Amino acid sequence: MICRVLILLLIFGFLSVLLPNSLNACPACKNLDESIARGFNWSVLFMMAMPFTVVGVIGGSVYYYFRRANAA
Amino acid sequence: MMTHSDVEIIQNRPLSNAKLGVLVLLGAETMLFVGLIGAFLVFRMGNVNWPPLSLGDIQLPQLVTGINTLLLVISGYTMFFSVRSIQQDRMWIHHTALAFTWFLGLAFLVIQGSEWIQLIGKGLTLQSGIYGGIFYILIGCHAVHVLGAVSWLTIVFAKSLLGKSSSQNYIGVETCMLYWIFVVALWPILYVLVYLS
Repeated sequence: MICRVLILLLIFGFLSVLLPNSLNACPACKNLDESIARGFNWSVLFMMAMPFTVVGVIGGSVYYYFRRANAA
Repeated sequence: MMTHSDVEIIQNRPLSNAKLGVLVLLGAETMLFVGLIGAFLVFRMGNVNWPPLSLGDIQLPQLVTGINTLLLVISGYTMFFSVRSIQQDRMWIHHTALAFTWFLGLAFLVIQGSEWIQLIGKGLTLQSGIYGGIFYILIGCHAVHVLGAVSWLTIVFAKSLLGKSSSQNYIGVETCMLYWIFVVALWPILYVLVYLS
């Protein structure tokens, strides 16, 4: 039974790939002009990258302090 | 009650609680500024004319702010130098470097305050649309942080003059330096984004 459902889902997925259609993923981005869309994109990329940078810097600092203490 | 060995363990920790706390605080502060810069990027890149034409011929004082940026960057160096001096037990140089840092930080605030008075006189206020709003919030938020850093430095300086800091105990100066360096390192980014872009 599960196997049949999976096969049906696979067929459905395959058929949906054959019929592509554009969708607005973000309600705020509807009818935006090119420059505002570019601004949104850069802003999102910048804000997305920052948590990793912050955690990386704090983690790197902790690692540095411990390594320095062990070397001494 | 803490024993002598407990105190020794705490003192010999590679990273003190105070320093870790300041690092986490700086992480949170970074995220605050990231949100503000993110908003600025949307407004800046979304507008072809910046400042908007409706504001007339308002120009931000790039040259004076550039010199102010230099002052703040120098203060970052003097702050770093003051920590190096206390580590080497050169207290007189430490005090002088702290005094220079304090003076440079205060000079930055005074120059920025006078710039704001001029800009408000020219008609650029918080209500001047997106441009005025994002300018005063972003730059003002940084100025509040500089004010906080100067206040912190005042306490650290006073304690150091009273002999409560030494080459064996300088965690207060060191954490203050971390915060100061953060405030200094942030400013050139804001200057390039807000004043030069």
